[in-house]
Amino acid sequence: MTFSLHGIGASKGIAIGQVSLVERSQLEVREYTVAPAWVEAEVARYQRAVDDAKEQVRRLRQRLPRHLFSQVGAFIDVHLLMLEDDAIAGAPVRRIRERFCNAEWALKLERDALVAAFEAIDDAYLRARRDDVEHAVGRVQQILAEQVSAQISNTEGTQAPPRPAVDTARHAGRVVCADDLTPADTVLMQYQGVLAFVTEYGGPNSHTAILARSLRLPAVVGLHSGLQYLRDGDEVIVDGRHGVVLVAPGGRAIDYYRSRQDQIARHHAVRRKLLRTPCVTLDGERIGLQANVELGKDIADATQVNADGVGLYRTEFMFMNRAEPPGEAEQFHAYRAVVDAMNGAPVTIRTLDLGADKQVDGVRPGAPEAANPALGLRAVRLCLREPGLFKAQLRAIARVSAYGRVRMMVPMVAVVEELLQVHSMLQQCREELATEGVAFDANMPVGAMIEVPAAAICADLFARNSDFLSIGTNDLIQYTIAIDRIDDEVNYLYDPLNPAVLRLVQGVIKAGHSAGIPVAMCGEMAGDSRYTRLLLGLGLKEFSVQPNALLEVKQVIVNAHVGRLRKLVQRVMRAHKPASRKALVAQLNQPA
Amino acid sequence: MSTASAEVTIVNRLGLHARAAAALVKVAGRFASKIELVNEPRRADAKSIMAVMVLAATQGTTLSLSAQGEDAEQAVAAVTALIADRFGENE
Repeated sequence: MTFSLHGIGASKGIAIGQVSLVERSQLEVREYTVAPAWVEAEVARYQRAVDDAKEQVRRLRQRLPRHLFSQVGAFIDVHLLMLEDDAIAGAPVRRIRERFCNAEWALKLERDALVAAFEAIDDAYLRARRDDVEHAVGRVQQILAEQVSAQISNTEGTQAPPRPAVDTARHAGRVVCADDLTPADTVLMQYQGVLAFVTEYGGPNSHTAILARSLRLPAVVGLHSGLQYLRDGDEVIVDGRHGVVLVAPGGRAIDYYRSRQDQIARHHAVRRKLLRTPCVTLDGERIGLQANVELGKDIADATQVNADGVGLYRTEFMFMNRAEPPGEAEQFHAYRAVVDAMNGAPVTIRTLDLGADKQVDGVRPGAPEAANPALGLRAVRLCLREPGLFKAQLRAIARVSAYGRVRMMVPMVAVVEELLQVHSMLQQCREELATEGVAFDANMPVGAMIEVPAAAICADLFARNSDFLSIGTNDLIQYTIAIDRIDDEVNYLYDPLNPAVLRLVQGVIKAGHSAGIPVAMCGEMAGDSRYTRLLLGLGLKEFSVQPNALLEVKQVIVNAHVGRLRKLVQRVMRAHKPASRKALVAQLNQPA
Repeated sequence: MSTASAEVTIVNRLGLHARAAAALVKVAGRFASKIELVNEPRRADAKSIMAVMVLAATQGTTLSLSAQGEDAEQAVAAVTALIADRFGENE
């Protein structure tokens, strides 16, 4: 009979195969009293077990395939450090000496205290590290138990064979099902060609989950007491995205999941091909395709999709949820990490874009509340009002420009004077750095973000005072149409295809071309593949998009013929009836 | 014997998670000074990975860092730099 078990989808993908059950004997720990004369022998036995455990972990680290080292090596180091920690290496020894108890019991008491401390943590990710304690302690308990059984066998005149904690070879080509897996088990099993992992315990942040994702193996965790229904050799389908395990599936279910597997494989193949394809249109135009990033995770995502660089690095998050704004050093380190991660590709750092609606904590406390935040003291306006805050950022950006191809972008400029003031403050910072003997790139490009209609209309004036322009469509659309898009009553008017918006975008692109400087777009419109062909036809040559939208936009670019699109787009721009404009845009998106 | 102290804010996304705690313990281990981290009411010896993890320092947590010993100042500087540098990880 077919039935399904439900847990947490911890690593996506589909596996079809036979169950391989891992039964880890639950070691029962008993307390007994050690005679005073034997206490030091018991201490020595315990210390030997801890040493053996460390040796096992070190050997495991040596056997790690090189490509897994950066991901998995750190987890193994954590176990090693735990085994060296006083909580495991020292505290149980003191308990043995004070309470005359056996080594196993001393370790168990310490383990209970540690687990209780971890379970009191609010943060789910940190609380899940309780598993590391269990694994480290479990390894020592296992060794202590083996020592005892070896002694017993020895007295009977036979030698107990050394056995690994988990026999890994028999899992090859099967779905491993266990109550829980240590990181070490997980790694070795992957090495043996395991198809998927299913565990009773663990959450989305457990090691099994993290490792399965990095090994790209499907995994379902947290299958509460589902394991008792599984037998070795059962046929199962593991759907790692939805957290479902189908047991004894029928022919139709297998057919369905096989076709899903094929689909996923094809999708991956297309992605892999697209990753290597240069971002050039059918008629040979090279189009820049960069990523918008904010948090560290986005940077990994950006490099994974082969972004040409970072077209928008938002710096705001660093300034939020804290008592005081970050200083120059902290900012420098954060920017440096991004520049280093991008490995020579350009990184466009946007100066602080906060204020009014999103307050910078610790800055201007008690300032009057803005009547209309979107039109208030924000972004570059706030920066120019708070030169101390802004200079720390300018200095950090100037310093990091010595370490890569850094560009600086100023948000929300409305009048050219703002841009000129930023230039002169930056110049002042550079002179200070020069006197201090600190390195910076004197030619770092500085550009204006065009998102206020006043700046878009006078884009030629901004272009003459900028090394590049970047169009921020989210605010440009709101300011142009005079709507707040989170206001349900009016957001039906929010439309990137609004002719006023398109004319402004076209004007900015033209102004940049006449001034001979690059024009990029970093708003959401750039990352929406429905608008890619339209933007290409308007002459846009640099897109900066969310990493997860990058390949979709790339797919449209490499299949587009810009010359033909230009003509079609001219017709869109000339259309005077909304219906015909919509029809023309739809036609634009029909692949020729 | 000198002492040094500083306030440090955890800036990396996952907080003092396992890998970050390991990096911190390794750096702390290079110094002779006794190094302590406090996230009220929890206090931790910076050389003990268990204690550091149980501090439950998530992103945005401000910790009091103090060191006592001949290399106290260097120790505080090194730990502060490591935390500001997000434990050397490219998040």
